[in-house]
Amino acid sequence: MRHILLHKAFLPRGHPEMRRPGFLPAAALFLLTCILVLYRILWLGYPVLPVAKGQTWQLLVNVYVTPKDEQSSLSLALPSELIGNMVVEERVLSGMYAFYIQTQGPNRFGVWSGAGVDRPEEIQYRATIHSLPRRSVAIQSPLLGPFPPTMNREEQSLAEGVTMKWQALAPMIRFQAVVAALKSARGDSPPSDEVFRRWQVVQQKHDPTDAALALFRAANLPARSVEGLRLAEGVQILPTKWIEVWVDRSWGHLNPETWEVYPSPAALLPLAVGGFPVVKVTGGELSDIRWTITRQVVSQWKLFYEHIARSAHFLDRWSLLQLPQEFQGTFRILLLVPIGALIISLLRNVVGLPTFGIFMPLLIALAFRNTGTVYGVGIFCGVLLVGYAARSFLDKLHLLLVPRLSVILTLVIFCFTVLALVGNKLGLRELMAVGLIPFVILTMTIERFFILIEESGVGEAFRAAVGSVGVSVITYGIISWEPLQLTFFVYPELVLTVAALQILLGRYTGYRLSELYRFRDLKGTS
Amino acid sequence: MILGGFRRLREFGVLGMNFRNAGYIMAYNARSAFPLVDDKVQTKRLAEKFGIPIPELYYVVENHGSIAGLPGVLEHLGEFVVKPARGSGGSGIILIKGRMEEGFVTQSGKIMSKEDFNYHIASILSGIFSLEGGEDAAIIEALIHPDPVFNSVTYQEGVPDVRIIVYKGVPVMAMVRLPTEASDGKANLHRGAIGAGIDLGSGITLNAVHKSRIVQIHPDTKNPVNGIHLPHWDKLLMTASEAMEMTGLGYLGADFVLDRDRGPVLLELNARPGLAIQMANQSGLRIRLDKTDRALPAVFLTAASRVAWAKENFMHGIDSVVSGSRNL
Repeated sequence: MRHILLHKAFLPRGHPEMRRPGFLPAAALFLLTCILVLYRILWLGYPVLPVAKGQTWQLLVNVYVTPKDEQSSLSLALPSELIGNMVVEERVLSGMYAFYIQTQGPNRFGVWSGAGVDRPEEIQYRATIHSLPRRSVAIQSPLLGPFPPTMNREEQSLAEGVTMKWQALAPMIRFQAVVAALKSARGDSPPSDEVFRRWQVVQQKHDPTDAALALFRAANLPARSVEGLRLAEGVQILPTKWIEVWVDRSWGHLNPETWEVYPSPAALLPLAVGGFPVVKVTGGELSDIRWTITRQVVSQWKLFYEHIARSAHFLDRWSLLQLPQEFQGTFRILLLVPIGALIISLLRNVVGLPTFGIFMPLLIALAFRNTGTVYGVGIFCGVLLVGYAARSFLDKLHLLLVPRLSVILTLVIFCFTVLALVGNKLGLRELMAVGLIPFVILTMTIERFFILIEESGVGEAFRAAVGSVGVSVITYGIISWEPLQLTFFVYPELVLTVAALQILLGRYTGYRLSELYRFRDLKGTS
Repeated sequence: MILGGFRRLREFGVLGMNFRNAGYIMAYNARSAFPLVDDKVQTKRLAEKFGIPIPELYYVVENHGSIAGLPGVLEHLGEFVVKPARGSGGSGIILIKGRMEEGFVTQSGKIMSKEDFNYHIASILSGIFSLEGGEDAAIIEALIHPDPVFNSVTYQEGVPDVRIIVYKGVPVMAMVRLPTEASDGKANLHRGAIGAGIDLGSGITLNAVHKSRIVQIHPDTKNPVNGIHLPHWDKLLMTASEAMEMTGLGYLGADFVLDRDRGPVLLELNARPGLAIQMANQSGLRIRLDKTDRALPAVFLTAASRVAWAKENFMHGIDSVVSGSRNL
């Protein structure tokens, strides 16, 4: 009776090859990922392809201020979001000075102030700027401003006289007529010779920018003077000035020296709009200032997402991007660790590559982030060999398990210390970072390595060592790939799909690649 | 090329590691039954209950405190074996043949001091040889005197053992593991012992596998490994078959030693038996396991009926006929 009962339990009904109980949960997890990703894209407006358009620049401003009075302060125009470029990241080096940001209309000024010192004070400002070529900043047309204060009443009415005949023309034509007048050319429907001659005198007397602003004001075209930088690689010691004129729902950019229109306004980085000075020092003297602009080389993805994190309206409040910056880095890595685990599963169950322990290569891979692969692998192999030699010696001493492991642990720590000191002497940060390698894991690996050599031979142990290091290097390559980091960071639900793949892999009952070799002599024909 | 290789393995009915784990071990071996086979003390008690012959259990050292009491126990024993209760792969086993003033004489004739012996017991207890590395017990049991049948193909004083894979109580494949110099007298394939397949129908040995290559002679003694007729073959198959009822494991490996005086003696059971047995038999397990799945329910009624069915259906050479017809 007992036999029959036992046998019933063993009936091949629903043989594992036939049923796939792993498929449903995997499909459910995959579906959940899709729903969450779609929700973010459709409802929260996430970009489908997280590639940022436009260009990225690194701006570095070095200012040297020599204080003269008790109190000195520096006001420096900073790139502003409102003007049309995205400021992704800002760093300020204030030295002895206190720092705050002051907003004036569309402008942002960094103000450094403090008690005077007799030697020049260096102030550094660094920003990463992302400029989008077709970004409409203001949709509503700006209001017509007043005449420049340097113009007296008489000069103002003279400007009005110049533009009188153009009032009925379309804004674009009016703009071209004003530009022609500024170039001292007499275009279509010119003003009377007398008026024009008198205006030429006024124009010579004044700053060309003021003259232009007066004419545009008289022609009912909103205009403003802007100081900024040319967005091109190199060092600039003087800011660039230009005039922005509102024509046909966008700003035209006019060069006040040549009266040419800038063909590509994206090549300009506005800093101070509306006649404010870019840099102003009180109670001291500006010894030196230079703006250094370099093309940014980091991935543009990064910029995009860091920007999203700062703009409240764009984003799901439950995004990891809302985490404080210092905790974000951890999650960028953590979210990729499941992929590392997936790879380990793949290598063990599909390839049949042996590793020490299951997740040991993962932990080593995490340590590679600080040591780099070359030094990481070197340190790992070196300490493993030293540990092996010590373990062989310890074997003769007949120590009990826990004290023996403790001795190896101590040896590992000692090796780390020596490596860190050598690294310090040679100035190698990678060696000094040795302490971040998980020493407990390394200790256990030494023990396993020894036992494996004793029990299964050197070949087997080396295969496991090579397998472990190989998996570590591959895993490190994956977790340090920035686009993948960012994708998982913005769409953390993707780990559910990784879990789905893990489930599916867990149901893989086919052969391992290594079994092709293992059973190569099996011909099945004897 | 890879897919072709996989297809070939499939055609030969080779059982791979993944399918063994998912399709047989996880499907037919209840987790709760694992301790019965992982702990040799439990296996022994169970076997005694079922009347299956085992090496006599003298003493179990369960904690460091009882090491002190060992001399009293060992005083009356001329020869014995020390092994970890939860050991795997034959590690930690010491065979003691006699004693001298300085200490114990091991199988290979070396002298082991009392201190070294106690250290070894302590090592076992601290779990060095244990499957999971946890606390363990040391077993003191009777020494086996192997049947001389394998003397021509055994390195020195090694003890060959017979491994039988039992699926749903049906013995499906068998091999004899012969110690070599490389395996240090131990009968473990991954240490370099060779495994000779056994024709299930007749109990006669076939060629052997040595480090995943096929060999016809023993690497040390240079004698042919095939054609050796195992004594007590039916008894071996019967006992292996009963191991299913004993443990409730649907897929297991039973390891026996042929004792000169007592015949087949059960050494241990294994809930995760290895796959090299397929190489030793030049035959895939899947064919035999699938065939067992298709057997009529009546076959499974008793150990005797299962053994009779197995001998008839797993006769040497029969698989290739089956797989050959598959290829058509």
